[in-house]
Amino acid sequence: MITTNNITKKYGDFTAINDLSFNVNEGEILCLLGANGAGKSTIINILLNFTLPTLGTAEINNLDVIKNPIKTKEFLTYIPENLMLYPTLSAVENLDYFTKLSNKTFDQQQLQNYLSKAGLEKAAHNNRVNTFSKGMRQKVGIALAIAKESKVLLLDEPTSGLDPKSSNEFISLLKKMKDDGVAILMATHDLFRAKEVSTHIGIMRSGILENYSSTSELTLKQLETIYLDIMNFKNVS
Amino acid sequence: MRNIIFKELKELSRDGRFKSAVVISCILLLLALITGVNQYKKSNQQLTESVSKERAIWETQGAKNPHSAAHYGTYAFKPKFALSLLDYGVTKYTGNSIFLEAHNRNEASFSEATDQTSLARFGTLSINFVLIYLFPLIIILIGYNSYTKELENKTLTMLKSQGVSSVKLILGKWFATIIPIFILTIFTFLVIGVVLSNVHDLAFFSWSSLMTLLGSYLVYYLIISTITVLVSLLSKSSGTSLVSTLLIWILFSFITPKVATNFANEAHPYPSKSEFNAAVAEDKKNGLDGHNPWNEAAQKLESETLEEYGVDKISELPFNYSGYRMQKGEEHEAQIYKKHYDILNEIAIKQNKVYGSLSFLSPFISLRFLSMDVSNTSDKLHWKFTNAAEKYRLQKQEFLNYDIKDNSKYGERGYTMTEKKFKQLPRFNFTPPTNLEIIKENTQNILFLCLWLFLPFVGLLIFSKNK
Repeated sequence: MITTNNITKKYGDFTAINDLSFNVNEGEILCLLGANGAGKSTIINILLNFTLPTLGTAEINNLDVIKNPIKTKEFLTYIPENLMLYPTLSAVENLDYFTKLSNKTFDQQQLQNYLSKAGLEKAAHNNRVNTFSKGMRQKVGIALAIAKESKVLLLDEPTSGLDPKSSNEFISLLKKMKDDGVAILMATHDLFRAKEVSTHIGIMRSGILENYSSTSELTLKQLETIYLDIMNFKNVS
Repeated sequence: MRNIIFKELKELSRDGRFKSAVVISCILLLLALITGVNQYKKSNQQLTESVSKERAIWETQGAKNPHSAAHYGTYAFKPKFALSLLDYGVTKYTGNSIFLEAHNRNEASFSEATDQTSLARFGTLSINFVLIYLFPLIIILIGYNSYTKELENKTLTMLKSQGVSSVKLILGKWFATIIPIFILTIFTFLVIGVVLSNVHDLAFFSWSSLMTLLGSYLVYYLIISTITVLVSLLSKSSGTSLVSTLLIWILFSFITPKVATNFANEAHPYPSKSEFNAAVAEDKKNGLDGHNPWNEAAQKLESETLEEYGVDKISELPFNYSGYRMQKGEEHEAQIYKKHYDILNEIAIKQNKVYGSLSFLSPFISLRFLSMDVSNTSDKLHWKFTNAAEKYRLQKQEFLNYDIKDNSKYGERGYTMTEKKFKQLPRFNFTPPTNLEIIKENTQNILFLCLWLFLPFVGLLIFSKNK
């Protein structure tokens, strides 16, 4: 569903991503771990066609993202670290707008159902989102993914800054989406959440995918060790 | 794109700043309309009364010597055109009536400006003021952050991740900027049209002229909207965009027109009143060619006339030579006036050309020329009126002089023209150019407006593709 083939991205002499290849299939969650500047967000930007790779190809649903920039976006929903919506519109209106931009039209009831499925309280559905917390805005993003029946979810640090309750709720939603067959790529710093939610974990450093493992093969302790090892924090651990 | 437009309009409808601006503009428009209509009715009533009073004085002056009547004079009044309610143009400064008398071509007098106190220098509220200055500000208010707000609110990323093309997004925002102002403008013009249609004794009102004005203003608003969205597209922040668009508005509406006036006056200076009068007096004294004054020309006319009729004395002519000579003298002076007024007109045309040529710096100039012409309140129209008045003056002089020539005897003292005959003098009638003629005369202004619309729009498409 999500495929990168030998992606390299250079900014002048600086190599942001070096020969990166991975696959995320239906019902899988790949969490990319790594420090700031490791290249996690860059790969998401390449998959969104916001950034062009220097070398290699990226595919969403077997379509090249560069050759099919509009078509590939029909299959995906992107939730950035700080999902921003239109502040003077309500949650329902925001969802209505974004779904219409994806050529899907729903009535008010359907939109409210999607918001409820994403865990947004009914009382908030018609409130303007300028009163919403980050967690509530992300639920609107998830509602969009559900409404669009997205096959792919791209998440960039989605739990950063969320309180534990919101974070738990969000992770539960991701698990549900995974079970529904959505392929999810999540860039994160959060080892604990990555271990909890992912099917696969990739650890990146300086644009290189240093480690790629099936989550079930690792304990949290092992994961932490590998991570710190890669990040050159062996002595500290 | 329709979804983008609807969303933008929905956001706009919840924007307090926009709502306040619209309410304030509507109140100002209403005030301008009420005061304008009252002013128009008052002026029109005064005009109608003056026209009929002047005519009555002329027709009831009793039996009188025609040349005395010629010196007594009459007035030619400029009609109060219906659309002057919308665009005052230069009417406040040009005068609205011309005294028509023998031997002299007078300038228009009784301008509104001379009837007002110095407070008038601060300007008055008019519909045109709201249309040309405030509506563009509303456009700026709507559109200055049309793109930058997406950057600043970080919603652009969400839009792009939904596969919305930049061109579609920008065009959606362009339409959303245009639609409110179009609705407001069309509504305003419809109200004006309905109000004007219900004003009695309206001079030269036509829906086609009103629609031409509407079209001109809509094109101008399209230009301002396109530039506003383009600036927003090219700006990094809403603050920068707002300041840039306001600077452009100031450049368009204030700086360029004033600089253009200075340029035009500098390039083609108008003679002073005393210089003009001195030049006319000089030609009256020495003749048009400088060595053929009227007294010599009159002698020549006399000998030629005697020769033509084969008589030795003017008393033997079959008509009263005095009337004939007065008419020829009038025509001689009229030529002198024509020469000098043509020079003035030529300077005015050249000034307007210089002014108009600076339209490449501001579409406002083209709009102003077009608006004043369609409203019949332009300098061009005033010249047409003064020329028509002069033509009528000569027609009137001929009517009176030829009465002397044909109905009195040479040397007859105390000849009078009957009151009935005075009534036969045709009335002064001035018809402005048709809407179609005005449009043809304004081809250059229309082209400039189209160019101003085309180039920023192309820029909008090019830059949005690169976003």
